[in-house]
Amino acid sequence: MPEPTPRRSFWARVTGQSPFVVTLFALVLGLIVGAIVIVTTTAPVLDAWRGFFSSWSGPGHALKVTVDNVGAAYRIMFTGSVFSPATLWHAITTGQGWTNALTPISETLTYATPLTIASIGVGIAFQTGIFNIGANGQAMMGGIAGAYVGTLIHLPMVLHLPLTLLAGIAGGVLAGSVPGLLKAYTGAHEVIVTLMFNYVVSAVLLYTLLSTALQAPGQQNDIARTLDPSAQLAPLFGTASGLRVNYGLVIAALVVLFAWWFLERSSLGFDFRVTGANPQAARASGINAKAVIILVFAISGGLAGLAGVTELAGFYKTLDGGFLVGNAGIGFTAITVSLLGRNKPIGIVWASLLFAALGVGGRAMQAATGIPLDLATVIQSAVVLFVATPVLVKEIFRLRTSPTAALQLATKGWGS
Amino acid sequence: MSIDVKPETPVTAARIPVGRTRGIGVIMLVIGLFTALVFGVGSGFSAHSSLTFNPVSLTNAPWRVGTLTLLTAWSNVVLGLAIVALGVDVLARLPRRGVMARFGVVAVLFFFALLLWAARTTGPSQINFVNLTAVLIGSSALAMVLVFGSLSGVMCERAGVVNIAIEGQFIGGAFVGSMVASTAHNFFLAAIVGALVGGALGLVLAFLSLRYLSDQIIVGVVLVTMLGSLSSYLNLQVFTPFPQYNTGNLAPNLPIPLLSKIPVIGPVFFDQTGFFYLMIVLVALVSFGLFKTRWGLRVRAVGEHPQAAASVGIKVIGVRYANVIMGGAIAGVGGVAFMASQGQFQPGYTSGLGYIALAALIFGRWRPSGAVVASVLFGLSVYLADNLQTYQVPVPTEILGMFPYVITIAVVSGLIGRVRPPAADGLPYKRD
Repeated sequence: MPEPTPRRSFWARVTGQSPFVVTLFALVLGLIVGAIVIVTTTAPVLDAWRGFFSSWSGPGHALKVTVDNVGAAYRIMFTGSVFSPATLWHAITTGQGWTNALTPISETLTYATPLTIASIGVGIAFQTGIFNIGANGQAMMGGIAGAYVGTLIHLPMVLHLPLTLLAGIAGGVLAGSVPGLLKAYTGAHEVIVTLMFNYVVSAVLLYTLLSTALQAPGQQNDIARTLDPSAQLAPLFGTASGLRVNYGLVIAALVVLFAWWFLERSSLGFDFRVTGANPQAARASGINAKAVIILVFAISGGLAGLAGVTELAGFYKTLDGGFLVGNAGIGFTAITVSLLGRNKPIGIVWASLLFAALGVGGRAMQAATGIPLDLATVIQSAVVLFVATPVLVKEIFRLRTSPTAALQLATKGWGS
Repeated sequence: MSIDVKPETPVTAARIPVGRTRGIGVIMLVIGLFTALVFGVGSGFSAHSSLTFNPVSLTNAPWRVGTLTLLTAWSNVVLGLAIVALGVDVLARLPRRGVMARFGVVAVLFFFALLLWAARTTGPSQINFVNLTAVLIGSSALAMVLVFGSLSGVMCERAGVVNIAIEGQFIGGAFVGSMVASTAHNFFLAAIVGALVGGALGLVLAFLSLRYLSDQIIVGVVLVTMLGSLSSYLNLQVFTPFPQYNTGNLAPNLPIPLLSKIPVIGPVFFDQTGFFYLMIVLVALVSFGLFKTRWGLRVRAVGEHPQAAASVGIKVIGVRYANVIMGGAIAGVGGVAFMASQGQFQPGYTSGLGYIALAALIFGRWRPSGAVVASVLFGLSVYLADNLQTYQVPVPTEILGMFPYVITIAVVSGLIGRVRPPAADGLPYKRD
């Protein structure tokens, strides 16, 4: 029996099949989760709710305080990561203060640069059916290798910068190849191996910072020498602009182009995607499964390493024990970014801009309201949890569900 | 790890390939020779190592045990040769079963030799004895947490759901456990609340992966990320302004009368916190339940072949829900137990224990008993990695810190034998 299509409402047509709509609603749900977390843990809000029954104005006051607090947090998150209308208007009308007006967006782009590169690496692995959860360790390894070349070798910039970046890629390939080889030859599940490798690389980082020539002379702490200026990625608009967005952006753009070409146009990329979509079909059509696993880990690890060295050369300039640890761990954010962007290069660009904005805005929020930055990570993981269950989002918002959209397996259990 | 059965390989072939068994034998030989030569001959023939057996707190030790002094070199040569003998045995007979058990014995002998070597008198260390009882007590606390984690994994994976969120359940349990223990001063209540939180996290995992067929591994990993950041957020938002909610609280020891007074064994097994005894009861319960009861048969059927299980009237989804929630609750209690052995909650201090518990589960072949053996080995290695620095071992701290993780990688890489997970582990199940 044919579907009575003419009766579809505007709402149904807008929200029909597009994954973009699900992502948007997942973001809304994530922000709601964040709001709940703020409301239940902020003392003034809780106090206001405690007075709910104490007077006639109690309920109104409680609601007002809630909206004020949540609104302030999210408003500062936005103005701290995109732009603030007041400062922008000031810059436009007076022609001054452009640095102030553009700093938020510049910070977001700065943060998004390595995030995009790492996420593309994770995304390529996902498209091959492989969960590379070790991107953080690989990026860290890239940073370590880049720091060695960037500080201990002295060359003119034309040679030094490319060599530093290549060293970063090599470090990432090295850290990615171990899990890849183990997976290919022993069948070890990549999730546990790459996770454990993150801890191993953390130990390597501390070791190199404390016990090798990388440690800054005269230092007892875990701080490395600063990268030579010839190995740093310069600010895009010059040092005088005061904006930190740097030439890493160009690298990220090139990586996105490369990834698009690789996945959509190259034959190796086709092999990867076939392996991810249907391993049996891939084997039947003569694709070498072992080679694919080893190569995808090398490429994914190399990109993560490039992300690490970009972060180092463009942002930190000096390697220390806090490099990519905790909230700065772009490799972990990259997993969520990649899932949000549905592992496609263009989607990943948007997703990493969004998550970079959440991270940068979260920092502004922490500075202004005292609400901890970790809230941004909570929101990010909630968003991804909802994106991973599109049917749930569609049920909540009463969207049309397509029966085929439910079953999406990106990874496999221990048995595969 | 892989159960890829290639068309040309008959299904009845040996599960452990001969080449791999041979490889394990060679590794054992290398470890044995290393022990005999470096820890034995290398420490010089005049060195002595002393072992003491009295626990640090002597209140429950009416019978003191004297110090055992050994010649370091000869003891370690003997230990090394024992390892070599085990390796030769594996190489000569290529046994199909029990290779992992032998490797476990090798690991214990190796750790023992390492301790003897680290505490030799003419060595670099100021501390010229090893308190064996203290080592066993210290590693039993870690092993206990790992057992909770891998039991949780057994419950979930035997029913066919991969629970990677064990780490998250640890974090959740540790957080609320610290809160309850600090306010109510009652660890029993803390354990119950921890179980509730862990069970709730299990419910989220089950709900998303069973009802919406989401990818279990992705949901698990994202849950860990979420719990990690949420706990760090709440730590700043609640525990920093109100430190009285996160006061140092070590669970009290509940010595069992008489038994706790036995030297060495008493302090390690019978003078522990309630969590330790609970863990032993749970291991027995899960072991008996899974392999000796009708319920266990059903669970295993659901994990191996859900379609077949459904065709005889077992409610696959229901069994999976129940098991994932129970598994989550067990891991939640494990988090409380970890908190109770550390004294308070700190963000990020579980540092991958949940994933190591998963590796222990794999090493233990998805059996509670195997998981216990594996957890003891992992617990010992984590403890030694943390504490060998006091013996001034000539290896940098950071390298020692890699030890547990490298062992975990080696284990899941199947360097120690091939394992077979439940056939439907991690696969989504749809009724029609």
